[in-house]
Amino acid sequence: MKMKKRLSLLMAATLVATAAMTGCGGGRQAAPETTTAAPAQETKAEETKAEETKAAEAATGFEAGATIGVSLPWLGTQNWKEADEMFKTQLEAAGFKAIVQAADNKVPQQQQQIESMIQNGAKVIVVGPVDGSQLGSVLEEAAAAGITVIGYDRLLENTTGVEGVVQFGSIKTGELQGQALLDGLAKEKGEGPYNIELFGGGPADPNAPNFFKGAMSVLQPKIDDGTLVVVSGQTDFTQCATLDWDNSKAQARMDSLLSGFYADKEIHGVLSPNDGIARAIITASEQAGQKIPVVSGLDAENESVEWIWSGRQYSTVAKPTDVLVGKTVEIIKSLQEGKGMPAPDTNVNNGKKDVGVYELPPLVVTKDNAKEAFANDPGRLDLLK
Amino acid sequence: MKYIKQVLGGELRQYTMVIALAALIIIFNITSGGRMVTSSNFQNLLSGNAYVLVLAIGMLMVIVIGQIDLSVGSVAGFSGMVMALVARDLNFPWWLAVLVSLAIGVAAGAWQGFWLSKLGIPGFITTLGGMMIFRGGVIWISKSISVPAPPELKWFGAGYLPEWGPAFTGMNNSTLLMGIIAIAALAYVQLRRHTRSANLTGTKEPLWPVAVRIGLGGGIIGYFTWLFGTGRPGTSFPVPGLILVILVIIYHTITQRTQFGRHIYAVGGNKSAAALSGVNVQRTYFLTMLNMSFLAALAGIMFVGRSTAAGPSDGTGWELDAIASVFIGGAAVSGGIGTVLNTMVGGMVMAVLNSGLMLMGVGADRTQVIKGFVLLAAVAFDVYNKAHGRRSIIGTLFPEKEIKPKEGKPTGSDSQ
Repeated sequence: MKMKKRLSLLMAATLVATAAMTGCGGGRQAAPETTTAAPAQETKAEETKAEETKAAEAATGFEAGATIGVSLPWLGTQNWKEADEMFKTQLEAAGFKAIVQAADNKVPQQQQQIESMIQNGAKVIVVGPVDGSQLGSVLEEAAAAGITVIGYDRLLENTTGVEGVVQFGSIKTGELQGQALLDGLAKEKGEGPYNIELFGGGPADPNAPNFFKGAMSVLQPKIDDGTLVVVSGQTDFTQCATLDWDNSKAQARMDSLLSGFYADKEIHGVLSPNDGIARAIITASEQAGQKIPVVSGLDAENESVEWIWSGRQYSTVAKPTDVLVGKTVEIIKSLQEGKGMPAPDTNVNNGKKDVGVYELPPLVVTKDNAKEAFANDPGRLDLLK
Repeated sequence: MKYIKQVLGGELRQYTMVIALAALIIIFNITSGGRMVTSSNFQNLLSGNAYVLVLAIGMLMVIVIGQIDLSVGSVAGFSGMVMALVARDLNFPWWLAVLVSLAIGVAAGAWQGFWLSKLGIPGFITTLGGMMIFRGGVIWISKSISVPAPPELKWFGAGYLPEWGPAFTGMNNSTLLMGIIAIAALAYVQLRRHTRSANLTGTKEPLWPVAVRIGLGGGIIGYFTWLFGTGRPGTSFPVPGLILVILVIIYHTITQRTQFGRHIYAVGGNKSAAALSGVNVQRTYFLTMLNMSFLAALAGIMFVGRSTAAGPSDGTGWELDAIASVFIGGAAVSGGIGTVLNTMVGGMVMAVLNSGLMLMGVGADRTQVIKGFVLLAAVAFDVYNKAHGRRSIIGTLFPEKEIKPKEGKPTGSDSQ
């Protein structure tokens, strides 16, 4: 109890200090009402300062064995696990010291990881965000410390602390998914009209609405002319979204759609934003006693590659992780040599500034082209037997 | 040993967790090559964990009354989201949005308190319901999309105190002033207590332990002042840390010095006995739950400020972090025991573990495993101690009666 007392005294002392500080606030600043505005100005000043130092640094680069931080959202899907391993091997092969960490899909954990990378003296931090808009202050902190922040696979929004984003064009990906669904329906389900349902990805991921938008740009004209019928009527992204990209939530939604709207109808096709959700949709359809619908996908996960090969899942879109990681490491090398960021393919406004985007082309995979698509990928080629 | 005891005031066992915390910091500092004890890392420790520690303050009181609150994460997420939404869609100024959000927290707390105190539904069930209601609520009102928060809020979640005054001090003068006043206040309070206790008991304690205490305490405060004050220009003792310190002082006073505080411990220690001695058990339950959700709303606001946006999954799992902090800080699962200050130490143990393991590059998977073992070990240690002749609940609660009998209130002397 005595310790508590002692500590309490200490705390009381601090309170007095605080009170005193607030009291003399008027004295140290000409206009008291600027107290709240001051930090904002300070950060702004810091940012410009940081940008200057960065420009200077860009000209000089940094030492070859520098530390590079990579913060990934989680390791719960295959593409992230692959990214985890590839970043380690490719960065170390390029002579860097790599810190690769994953955040268990929790925003606060990712914030702390990025801070610990700043502590560890990283020169570049690559961030695959859990939620692209919730890292604002830590990324600005990184930028203020002269670190270059590169977004990986997902856009970093609502912050001035980001220099560029490497990703597969997400609208393009969506268009490919929509087109693959249309092609599959024509090929496997005979003449229209076709009954379809739509699924979106995790709403916290800024790519998810873009996938959906891209796909709808292909599908909407066909819905309007009656070739496609969305039986449930749920065509809004917020209605179709799958929180956290969680497969079980998608399966539960598919279950209720099937029992609610397809008691006496056949479902022909489903737009799925990724492979895990695609398999959840297929499983739900099988359990409901439906013939397997044409389903799109994304990521070319091993299990889905097998399912495509055996004809259960119609298509997926491959976004080869090694290409994405390779492009990122290429940018890091260019920074290290002092050449700065390479010229981006396009610019996107993230709410605070224009961010350079390095877009890579994705690839549709169906049973017909699977062998060619994975010709350079022995792991996946093995599955096609 | 005798001299050490005289300085610290007996009962070295009370310091176990503080010593463990200090040891952790030192070990991590060595293994990470000096990256643990740096200005920026300590600033991060406070900014990055303040919201959990704020929750833990409220959770301590809930656990002391023998209940548990599972809804705090959801309430924090919900009130943070309401704040971001009213600021964006209804164009409320940021301070009004904050007030709306705090009001939502109070309303949520009143809702939970009503079910617990008036209808006697166990807190576990009440708040399990609340957890689902408010989590669903966040997702519903946000349409599962994160909403940017007013930029002014960043100051509360990740801001620093202003720079001013002469530059020759070489540090942030706001922090320096806080430190100086803290040391002065420490010295003043120690000396006053020394003379007062001499007057009351008639026995004269030698003056040197007081001097050593002031020296040691002042040294520690001075060191941390220096650490926080000499970071990158523009940084200081972080604002979320300051909010936390103020809350700790307020809640320490409430739980240790006020009638309401004594009621909380009385209800948690023995509900029937408390009721028979005239404590309004229902009111105590109600206010404690109300306060918990209020603090949850505040934690949600601080987190949104740091994140610059409110997200649909904000607050997931926070209740468990808060509960773990309380138990590592030595609170009893059965209620009636635990203090705000020990809870803060418990929370800092978790925070330092997190930060140290991340600095060493240990993955999230193994970090979880290690934290689980630490929780078990801390609680097991506490249980072992109690089974081997530690002071009773009453002894822990009212130890000051032995020294200062004249200060005791009538309610206090009843329990002796």
